[in-house]
Amino acid sequence: MSENLAIQLNKVSKEYSRNSMRIPVLQGLDLDVRQGEFLALMGPSGSGKTTLLNLIAGLDRSTSGDVNVDGLNLSQLSESQLTRWRADHIGFIFQMYNLIPVMTAQENVELPLLLQPVSRSERRKRATTALKIVGLDGREDHYPRQLSGGQEQRVAIARAIVTDPALIVADEPTGDLDRTSASEILDLLETLHRDLEKTIVMVTHDPQAASRASRLLRLDKGQLVGDETQAEAKFRLGAF
Amino acid sequence: MKYFSYIWRNMRRNRVRTVLTIGSIAISLFLMMIMLSFLSVNQNVSESLKGYNRVIAMSSQGFATPVPIRFVDEVALMPEVLAASPLSWYGGKYQEEVMPFAQFGIYPDKILQIWDELDMPDDQSKAFQADPSGCVIGYKMAAERNLKIGDPLPLKGTIYPFDLNLTVRGIYKCPPDRDGRMLMFNWNLLEEGLKKEFQGRQAGNAGTVFAKIKTGGDLAAFCKKVDASTINSDTPTRTQTEDAFVAQFAELWGDMRTMISAVGLAVVISLVFVSGNAMAMALRERTTEIAVLKAIGFTNGKILGMVLTESVLVALMGGIVGSLGCKLLFDVFDVSPYTAGALPFFFIPWQTAILGLGSSLIIGFVSGLFPAVAAARLGVIQGLRKVV
Repeated sequence: MSENLAIQLNKVSKEYSRNSMRIPVLQGLDLDVRQGEFLALMGPSGSGKTTLLNLIAGLDRSTSGDVNVDGLNLSQLSESQLTRWRADHIGFIFQMYNLIPVMTAQENVELPLLLQPVSRSERRKRATTALKIVGLDGREDHYPRQLSGGQEQRVAIARAIVTDPALIVADEPTGDLDRTSASEILDLLETLHRDLEKTIVMVTHDPQAASRASRLLRLDKGQLVGDETQAEAKFRLGAF
Repeated sequence: MKYFSYIWRNMRRNRVRTVLTIGSIAISLFLMMIMLSFLSVNQNVSESLKGYNRVIAMSSQGFATPVPIRFVDEVALMPEVLAASPLSWYGGKYQEEVMPFAQFGIYPDKILQIWDELDMPDDQSKAFQADPSGCVIGYKMAAERNLKIGDPLPLKGTIYPFDLNLTVRGIYKCPPDRDGRMLMFNWNLLEEGLKKEFQGRQAGNAGTVFAKIKTGGDLAAFCKKVDASTINSDTPTRTQTEDAFVAQFAELWGDMRTMISAVGLAVVISLVFVSGNAMAMALRERTTEIAVLKAIGFTNGKILGMVLTESVLVALMGGIVGSLGCKLLFDVFDVSPYTAGALPFFFIPWQTAILGLGSSLIIGFVSGLFPAVAAARLGVIQGLRKVV
């Protein structure tokens, strides 16, 4: 695996079993993602994009083939090793934000740091910085119910970046937001990609969201059917 | 410790459910404490009585059948005996009180010989012996009714058709594990009343006979000896040591120990289900949240530990309220005046309260185990459903 590759998939297949029937979801997928790329995964429902995201994030295991992230073959890790690896290397952004409702914004952001050897004061400091990056300084003590959807997603993004992971995975991060909030979130992701050089893999159905990515992948029936650069993607999506 | 804040807030997430769970554990343990303490207090008293060398003889047919008063003298004349006295229940009503207290006709000159743990000044003892209508009362009874030496103490007969107009001549003190609410009067007063007002029916009898045995005497052999002496009489007796006599009260309800243990076990098992159900419901509502925690790096062990800690904390709170609350309540509030003399005193021993606390920990652990394992084994993707 070359040094500047963040993600490398070699002939990755994924099947699910239902009532002794094997359902192929991904079939012999090869993919290279360079460090600092902002990747958008698009495709119709059931095309396998979320499954692909789960494999890259170490939430699921391939049936065959290798998934390498930052030079590490994830299929060789045990369940507990994979869990610890996620804590150190992955930031998650979910469609429904998935904040802990009984915790303040500050505490939600601090949550991943509980797993790191970090002092309490350092946790607070880092969480405050992360909230500042997402534009929520001054809202540290607010509970999720006291925030708008867009603000909740900002807290989720702060939680995703607080451990300074190399890779951020986002599944429909704007899927539950209005157009304005969605645009703000995408601005934020672009900033993370551009200024902090984070590698971002984002699943989306929204062409507008995909247009912010530096690279667009299209999946259909478990296979890659399109792989465009930012310029190509912008050109094509702009033509819609 | 750094996870405690999250665990604590989860406990408070659905306050009604948490309070109801804590309440159900507390109430059940509260009742269990009372039942277990009844047994242990009874056993403690029974054990503590072993050193007093006393035996009680009663009719082999039970309390309802008295033994003749001459039997007291026969026992008293036995060489092993230091002193003997009848102990005849009167059961009168004092003023407008609904709850009766223990009232016994005895031989006044034997009281301090037989019940040598009772402490009463000599002048009061002599005054009691000198006054045919005198009585001695326990210090608790005197304090609760504000009775002093020389005060009249009228008792209205409820079993016998005559009243007793007594005068307080002595107030005894006693160790905390003895009845401080007894009233003892001259047995002759009861006998005269029966002769005058009851055409002599039931006269000439002692309810039961208390005897103090000389130090070093073989109590078991003595009991056999007494019973052997009456076996061919009209009123064969059943003689037993005082501790066995006290223990038999618990046995009157059957095999109380087994029954209470079985009930206690049933309580613990049912609480496991109650608490386990509450935990399972709480975690079902947090399925996605747990999946998120696992996604961001919380290991199965951490999830297991957090859920178990939450479950144990909820149950422990119930244990603290139910067990320690019960102990505190009975330490402060004396229930014995409301038991008609059935419980001269009642308290929750520390070992019983600690047993209750321990039970709550076990309840919390066992009830939390299944939901905790289920949470720990939850697949991240399954938990997140269509999210990542």
